[in-house]
Amino acid sequence: MKRKWISALLCASMVAALAAGCGSDAGSGSDSGSGESEEKSESSDGKTTLTFWCHENEPWVKSYKEMAKKFEDANPDYTVEVQDYPFNVYNDKIQTALTSSTAGPDIVAVWGGTAPSFIESDALSEVPEDMVKELEEDYLAPTLGIYQKEGKYYGVPMEFNLEYGGMIVNKKLFGDTPYPETWEDLRKVSKEVSKKNGDIVEMKGFEMMDTDSLICNYLAMILQQGGQYLKDDGSIDFATPEGIKAMEEVLDMYKNGECDLENLTAGEYCYNDVYQDKGYMASVGSWAIGEGSGSYDLTYGEDYEYVPVPQYGEQMAFASETGWGIIIPENGANKEAAWEFVKFFSEPENLVQHNIACNQLPPRKSLLDSEEYKEAMPNITFLLDILPSGQWMGPYNTSDMREIFNQMFIDLCQSDSPDVEGALKDASAKITEGCQISYSMD
Amino acid sequence: MCSLPFLENGMKNNRFVAIVLIPGFLFLLVFVVFPVVYGLGISLYDYNPANSQNPFTGIENYKRLLHDEVFWIAVKNTIFFCAAAVTANIVITLFLAEIISILPSKWMKTLFRTILFIPCIAPMVGTSTVWKYGIFGTDGGAMNRIAGLFGAAPKNWFLTTWQFMILIIVFTLWADIGYNVVLFTAGIEGVPKEFEEAGAIDGAGPVRRFLYIKLPLMGRTFAFVAIMTMANYFQMFAQFRVFAASGGRNNSAMVLTNYVYKMSFDSFDMGYASAVAAALFVLVFAVAMVQNKLMRMDWSYE
Repeated sequence: MKRKWISALLCASMVAALAAGCGSDAGSGSDSGSGESEEKSESSDGKTTLTFWCHENEPWVKSYKEMAKKFEDANPDYTVEVQDYPFNVYNDKIQTALTSSTAGPDIVAVWGGTAPSFIESDALSEVPEDMVKELEEDYLAPTLGIYQKEGKYYGVPMEFNLEYGGMIVNKKLFGDTPYPETWEDLRKVSKEVSKKNGDIVEMKGFEMMDTDSLICNYLAMILQQGGQYLKDDGSIDFATPEGIKAMEEVLDMYKNGECDLENLTAGEYCYNDVYQDKGYMASVGSWAIGEGSGSYDLTYGEDYEYVPVPQYGEQMAFASETGWGIIIPENGANKEAAWEFVKFFSEPENLVQHNIACNQLPPRKSLLDSEEYKEAMPNITFLLDILPSGQWMGPYNTSDMREIFNQMFIDLCQSDSPDVEGALKDASAKITEGCQISYSMD
Repeated sequence: MCSLPFLENGMKNNRFVAIVLIPGFLFLLVFVVFPVVYGLGISLYDYNPANSQNPFTGIENYKRLLHDEVFWIAVKNTIFFCAAAVTANIVITLFLAEIISILPSKWMKTLFRTILFIPCIAPMVGTSTVWKYGIFGTDGGAMNRIAGLFGAAPKNWFLTTWQFMILIIVFTLWADIGYNVVLFTAGIEGVPKEFEEAGAIDGAGPVRRFLYIKLPLMGRTFAFVAIMTMANYFQMFAQFRVFAASGGRNNSAMVLTNYVYKMSFDSFDMGYASAVAAALFVLVFAVAMVQNKLMRMDWSYE
């Protein structure tokens, strides 16, 4: 009898342990939400809690929290909990959360490049009618592109994502030499200063060979010659005379030993080389300016600066993919309140402060002349002038597009007699076939 | 009808064993059987959990597998990786285990076993990252630094194809041999000394004694190590994800596990990813069955 009881107790404890292991770990975000119930319920003080998900990025999270505080002050019935997660697991978490009707967030910050995966599902709430008019009238085209599905909008941009237009320059290495202002000057300086050893360029001239910069610079080079890579039927064609000329120019940089493929193969950014005195110039978005002081303890103006990338062709043009925006899950219990928060966030006077705090470019046309922005961000004001010249990169999964493009580029670099036109044709066909977004925009 | 005491005890024992096993079976059912069956089910759908509609597509995902060039590259790479790495692992660990077993003192044996086992307890994601930048790194990696001492120019190993796979195998061996060394050392020490002594008296040298006496007599350990290592290596993932998340140059380091992950969480094509996972399951199962048949033992020392 005693044995039977022991076995029953043992069994019960093991089942309990198993069940405990399966229990949900509510609020596992690294921030303020830890340990709190994620159920959409009113808190003890009668306020409705909205959960805002974002990825780990110190200044960005700080800005989201400030925005949340401002919203709470303006709307005393709500509290907004900001929860941040590492970027490498962030998209998986969103995907999982969208399937849950009880444990998901109310508001989600999402990267435009991964947004199609969520938009193609019917798990997102449609942007309310009154915001749509604002989006269509006041937002720049590249910022909206990816958030459209069948004529409706499923996300609201927070920034203009620009990976082309500016470059970090190493002021110490340049010394008294002026920064190049034409493409020819840029190539000349790049050739003169670079030093190659085996597969490594120990001192790089102008760098644009990393996952983000390569394709953005290449597309800008096509467009600046008056060419186009997006055909009327939506397919991609890089193998145009402008596309071939641009690729030959980029290949020439590699063959001349002005830069290497290390960043492309290791998944790192070129600007790190400039901050580490291993490169003179690196094309990158303005978001990388803060890294100089934040990660490398350098001083802007003394050690490095952010200046325009000299134009390759005769006209200013570039392609840009949709950047960070906000989506609202359809299964959220507080959708209306969540949209109220998005509207509050998007108001020009609030959005501009967020853009300043995060070193972002504003997505709204009405902010291009913002004195507040220009005063706070004098180093990147020159980018505001070129934003209207940008086109949307196209209805493609840009992560997959980059992967195919970069692979083709590496193969061309490794070939002794590269068939540029053939490689561009193959890559165009692969991207058109494999990366096009499955839903229609209109 | 009389009740036999031993039968009664046996029944009680059986009941006790059954009750104790219930949580284990529940665990298996919930976390192994159910996901496998569910995964197989998903492979028949165009599945995205966030969609309200997930259309049934029958065997379409499996048909797609047949024409998917990357899938076949991944199959080839997975088989090559397993064959090469498992063979190298067994040869090296057997050699090391034999060396350890002939060491004169117990503390030396323990010391070497511990040193070899340390990488096994380190998380593979962490060690892979250290190797990626610290050993294989193009600028400042140990390999290029050592090559530099002999006058060789730095090489970007991530631009290579089969060489890169060999490097991943070398890392895997470093990270994983300690476990099998411990098993083989135990196996070697479990072989009765009389057999080896008899061989020595008959004039067999150490190599012949190892190959013709010890090795056949530790067949059970050998079979266990071979089957478990093979099954384990088919599922190796962390180092491939860290070294070559997108599969390396021309998918030269793309293996099935990484392809499943890529399809699931990069492309959110979970129905197709489940079909790839099913193919991996069939592959592992078939290899394990063949190994099991080839290595079946029907003898004992007695």
